[in-house]
Order: sequence, then structure tokens, then C-alpha cells
Amino acid sequence: MESLQLLFHGFTIAAQPMNILWVTIGGILGTIVGMLPGLGPATGVAVLLPLTFTMGPVAALITMGGVYYGAMYGGSRSSILINTPGDGAAIAATFDGYPMAMSGRAESALAMSAIASFIGGTISTFLIAFLAVPVSKFALKFGPSEYFLLYLFALTATATMSEGDKVKGFAAMILGLMIATIGIDMQSGVSRFTFGILELQGGIDFLIVIIAMFALGEVLKSFKNISDGKKQMQTKFGKVWISKADWKVSWKPILRATPIGFFVGVLPGAGGTIASLMAYSTEKQLSDHPEQFGHGAIEGLAAPEAANNSASVGALIPMLALGVPGSGTTAVMMGALLMLGLQPGPKLFQMQTEIVWGLIASMFIGNIILAVINIPMAGLLVRVLSVPPKILYPIVLALTFIGTYAISNSVSSFYLLLIFGLMGYFLGKAKYPTSPLVLAVIVGNSMEQSFRRAYTLSNASFDFLVSSPLCIILIILTIGAIVLPFIQDYMRNKKKAVNA
Amino acid sequence: MKKALLALLIALMLMPVALFANGNTEGGSSAATVNYPKGNMDFVAPAGAGGGWDLTIRTVAKTLADTKLVTVPMPVRNAPGAGGAVHLGTLQAKKSDDKTITVYSPPIIFFNLNGTSPYGFRNTTPLARLIADYAAFVVKADSPYKTINDVMDALKKDPKSVKIGGTSAAGSMDHVQFLIVAAAAGVKNLDQIDYVAFDDDGATQVMGGHIDLFSTSLADVMGLIESGDLKALAQTSDHRIGTGLKAEIPTCQEMGIDVTFQNWRGLFGSPGMPEYAQTYWRETLAKMVQTPEWKAMLEKYGWDNVYQDAPDFEKFLEQTEASYKQILTEIGMI
Repeated sequence: MESLQLLFHGFTIAAQPMNILWVTIGGILGTIVGMLPGLGPATGVAVLLPLTFTMGPVAALITMGGVYYGAMYGGSRSSILINTPGDGAAIAATFDGYPMAMSGRAESALAMSAIASFIGGTISTFLIAFLAVPVSKFALKFGPSEYFLLYLFALTATATMSEGDKVKGFAAMILGLMIATIGIDMQSGVSRFTFGILELQGGIDFLIVIIAMFALGEVLKSFKNISDGKKQMQTKFGKVWISKADWKVSWKPILRATPIGFFVGVLPGAGGTIASLMAYSTEKQLSDHPEQFGHGAIEGLAAPEAANNSASVGALIPMLALGVPGSGTTAVMMGALLMLGLQPGPKLFQMQTEIVWGLIASMFIGNIILAVINIPMAGLLVRVLSVPPKILYPIVLALTFIGTYAISNSVSSFYLLLIFGLMGYFLGKAKYPTSPLVLAVIVGNSMEQSFRRAYTLSNASFDFLVSSPLCIILIILTIGAIVLPFIQDYMRNKKKAVNA
Repeated sequence: MKKALLALLIALMLMPVALFANGNTEGGSSAATVNYPKGNMDFVAPAGAGGGWDLTIRTVAKTLADTKLVTVPMPVRNAPGAGGAVHLGTLQAKKSDDKTITVYSPPIIFFNLNGTSPYGFRNTTPLARLIADYAAFVVKADSPYKTINDVMDALKKDPKSVKIGGTSAAGSMDHVQFLIVAAAAGVKNLDQIDYVAFDDDGATQVMGGHIDLFSTSLADVMGLIESGDLKALAQTSDHRIGTGLKAEIPTCQEMGIDVTFQNWRGLFGSPGMPEYAQTYWRETLAKMVQTPEWKAMLEKYGWDNVYQDAPDFEKFLEQTEASYKQILTEIGMI
């Protein structure tokens, strides 16, 4: 009951005209930075940082919050239209979103992405309002061994993602894990595979690998199609909305994906990428037509979209309830809180009710505003598909370089971009799937580090694998995720045999 | 329509350029002894936005502008990478540049000692030490360790019995600051003590009981100490700091361990910074630390004023480097 009162009080703050203006500005800025490859919410919030010096704490937090979840709306726009995820959390949107756009259903894909984001964002805002404190206590149960098993579980999503040759999917994943070992090893302080190159000491930013493999790979692939004159552009556009049938297959996946996203988001370090991939593979496994996934199944787009918005809301919990950053973006937001002279920590939640509840209430308002902005904006953006490829792809090419520079502030990363872009192109030619590779690059380092931490903390024994009920649940889920696709394949083949 | 779209795309493309451009800082440095500073300065935080270095240099820039001590623009740029080592590398190409001012702290010594970077503070022009925060050793509220001495006694009996965590790599700050204290307390076999490095959240790990002790900086955990979730066993200053709960945290020296560790932050220029620029900044910073505006900032962020002018600062850097080196040698990292 107390929460309801506080929430109502929050609404009186968030609904002030200036604060509505701030959340709108934040949301639009977030949508734009989210859309551009390489620029993510962390960059958007960082750009705002100097501004927050002059704002009040409530306005600052509301604006930065708007950028944060706004980026989750924007991130998938470019995934759907040009197969170029804006950031890690938008990778899963390429799996079915891009095939949808290619088969002339871009309008439905964009509309579904906005609707799923809205629902995911709104439900998880309810969850944060009523469950923030107990959920933050639950997150404490995650130690290195639980994290290791969680990452391992996320990695099994590659098993469900790889189409066709499972051996090739596995090989791509191993290659990704190898790339993830580059850089200084935190546990020993030793540089690995850096060849004395200073820029490699910090490891390879997975965002660069994403941009290279998806965007640059797509550009290289398209060149051939363009010169062959095969690449068709879309000239007629429908209304940006979804059909009843689309909604019917999607509402359940959205409702399932939202809590997955929320809980994964709450865990510091896990984040939207893992959440959206877990939601995707869950839906693929539950589906009675998994073979359509990857070929434009709308529920395969709806689920990860709901999950990544929900995760971005969940990630605010460690910041608000404990004062520890749950993601790169919330780390920047915490920096802003410090600049404003606020001490993040559990006391913030109890003492600074105006700030916390003002932010939570503004998220309800922000989600509505973003959904309203994003649908008409999609009508404009979808016309990207009517740009002749000869013009569109050079622009995408330029964007990959700008995005890469924005990530590293350094021209030397262009070499990495080119190397991985070519790698992505040739892997694609040899029919190796790139998604398992990218996913392995994203989780590889955290997974290895968690393993090493757990191993050290259990005095160099493997007991940690079964040290808690959570570990055992995660192990069961992991085994299930690996075995289930094979059983499904087997059942389907059997059915076919019967039908034949 | 197509044209409008193209214009939109071009505008979108240009946006990051506009966002990340930071007035190129060429020209105006030749023999301009009287007319310095001229044009934009280039203030660099060698890490991402929102961190300690970023906050420090932004606060310096704001204070200098507010007090009108410096009237040229001082935009702050972030150049992250390898814990600041990448920026130090790029700085080497800017020998004798008079525009770049950057901030560093103990890692500039650590990443040179542990071999991450071939460069260290000797490849810069130290200008002044400004502020300090201190190491804090925290345990969860119901930990069996009630004092820092309990931890050290347990480690003396069995170096594997207390699991230490931190958020910097092995052989870097969080690890070494604990070992310096352990060594001073008479713990042997420092290389046997298990240290686990986390990415950015050690606080939840110690609260959840996954590690026994979290070696961190006081500012990072003050919120959780105030709420009673964590308990600070000791801090590494030579005096009590702050007010209220913060002032109740004992120093290591009070607990009979005669050692201090300072997480200082100072400003540095590029290697071979011209005399006139060095003089200008040393004088300006000396004035800045006296202003009420700067003192208010120290109060606001809970920083300790440890101002030292360049010559003393350089001596200090030499001394601390020697003490870090000794620990790192002892645990076999160099």
C-alpha cells in the first residue's frame, strides 16, 4: 500500500510539464543513439552527463532513464531494416526481424517491436515499483558459480540458433570464445594474445565484432547482389501496425519474455543481450513450428524485444536499491548521481523517495510517449527500404566506421572492424553461422572469469558446480536446452515418416 | 521523399561526429609565452564517463571556469582503454604539446610495473597531486571478522582461509592495497592469499557471502555502510576522515598496523610539456585549491585535500612506486 502512495507521489513529480519534456527529449535521444550502430545508451547518457550539472537530480535521472530505455526501442530499428543491430541487446531482433523486412513485412516488424517494447517496459516498471527490494536481495544469491552457469546456459542458446550444420555452429562458437580470451586476464593480471599491442589490452569490444559481422558483413554480401542487379527495393508501403493473427501468436511470448528479461536484467553484468537471447531461445523451444524461427516468425521478434526493454528496467534495481551499477549505462548514471552530490545506496531508496519514485513514475509516462513516437517514426524509417541499395549501402558502410570510432575513440579499431568484417563475410560464404560467434564473444570473457573466480573460491575444486540449489536448476536448464532441440528434431522426423 | 530521407540519414550520420568532435587543438603554441593559454585546452579523462577520473577532471574544469582562473574553454574528452594505458600511449605522440591535461591515479604506476604498459608517470609531466580517497576493507554485516586484526590472524594461520575480492585485476590497486596492509601486519606467504577480481560489482559479492572481504575505495561502498549492509573494518588513511559513520571507521594505524595507502588523483601534462605551460598550470592549480569553490567540491564528494606541487609530487610518485614494487615482487608478479 505504501508503494502505491509513493508511486502516486512520484506521478505528481513526473507529470510536471518540465519533467514530461525531459523524458520526451531523453526518449528521442535514446531512440536515435540506439538506432545508430555502436552508439548505445551508455554513450547517450554520457553525452548528457555535463548537462546534468545544471539540472536538478530528479530531472537528470528522468532524462537519463529516458535515454536508457529509449535506446532499447531504437536498437532494433536498424536490426530489422538493415540487419545491423544498434547494440548487443538488439542482436536477437535481426534473427526474425530482418527476414520479415526482406519478405515485405517490415511495417509489421517495426510495429511489433514497438508494441512488445512498450508492454515489456510497462510491466517491468510495475515489477520494479513493487518488487525492487526483495528482488535485489535475490540477486545477491548470484555468486561466481551461479554466474558461470547462467552464462553457460545463455551460450546454449547458440545450439538453438544455428541453422543446419550443428558442427559448423559449434565451430563458430569456439572461434568466438577464442576471440573473447584476448586482453588482460583479470585473475592473473597477464596479457593474453595481445602481441604487445596496447589497444588489445582491454580486450576486443564485442560491439565492434557485432558491427563488423552484421553491418559490414551485410554490406559486403550486398555488393555482389547490387552488381548483379538482384537486390530489390521496396516501393509500396502499408500501414505500420500488426494484424490480429500477429498479435495472437505474440502475446504469450511477450508475457513470458518480460519476466525473463526483468530477472536477468537485475543481475549486475548480465544485461539486455543475454536476456533477449534467452527469451528468443525459450520461444523457439516452446514453439510448435520452430523451423519458422529465423525465417520471419513474428513471435521470434516480439519475445526478445519485450525482454530487452524489461531488462533495461530491471538493471536499474541494483543501482537504486543497492547503489551498485548493474550495467555500463547504469554505471554512468551512478556517476551522475555522485556529481549531483547523492550517495547511491540502499538509503537512497528509503530517503530520496522523490527521486526514486519520480523516476519510476516517469518510466510509465516515458514508455507511453515512446510507443506513441515510435509508431509514426517507423512509418518514416521503413522507407529506408526504398533507398536504392547503391546509395543505402555506402551509407551503412560509413555508419560502421562512425560507430566503431564512437565506441573506442580511436582510429586503430578500424583495423579490427575490417578484420572481423572480412572474417564475417568469408564465414558466411562457407555457411558458418555468425550469431553463435558473436554470442560467444559477448559472454565468453565473463563466463571464463566467473569460472575462474568460482574455482579459486572453492579452493581449486569443482564442488562449486553443485554448491547451491540455483546452480542445480541452471545445470538442469542447460542440459535441457542442449538436448531438447535434438529430441524435437527426432520427433518431427518421426512424424514426417508417419505422414509420408 | 527520398531526398528528405537522405537528408535525415545524413543528419543522423553527422550527429556522432558532432558529439565526439572536440575542437582540434593545433596551433598557437610557438613561443607564445605571454599569450598562454590560447584556444581550447584538451582535458582528458583516460576512462569512460562517470568514473572517478572523469569526475575529477570535470570538477577541476568546472571549478577553474567558475572561479574564472582559466577563461579559455576546457572541454573534457574521454579516451578509455586498458585502464588508462591506451591514452598514455597516445600521449607519447604529443611530445611538448601544451594543450593536453590529463588525470591519473595509482594505476599509472601499476600498469607500468606489471607490464601492461611500457609507459609510466616518467613519460608524462606531473603537475600537481590534488585529492585522495582511501582504501577500505569491508565485510558483510554479520561476518565473523569483527576487526582487521581478526582477518590478519586468520591469514597468518591459513592464507587460504579468507577470500579477498576487488574490482581491479590481480596485481593492480585493489589487490596490492590489501597486501600492503597484510605485509605490514606481519602476514607471510602473501602469494598464497586468494584474490578474486570482479568486473565492477564486488559489493553484491561480499553481501551475498561469496567472498569474505572486499578491498575497495571508501567512496564506492559508503552507501552500503550507512545502510548497515556492509561493515568497514579499517581504512588506510593516517587520520579519521569525514563525519558521522565515516569518521567511526578506524585507521589501520590505530589497529596497530603501521601503514597507509592513498588513492591519490593528480593532473599530468604530456611528456616534455613546455616550461611556460608547466608554470602556468602549477600556479593556477595552486590558486585553485585555495578557492572556496574547490573546497566546496571536496566537501561534496568526500575527497581529502592532498595538494602537492610538481616537485613534491614527483618525489611522492618515486616513493610509492618503490613500495608497490616491493609487494609485486614478493607475490611474484614482477
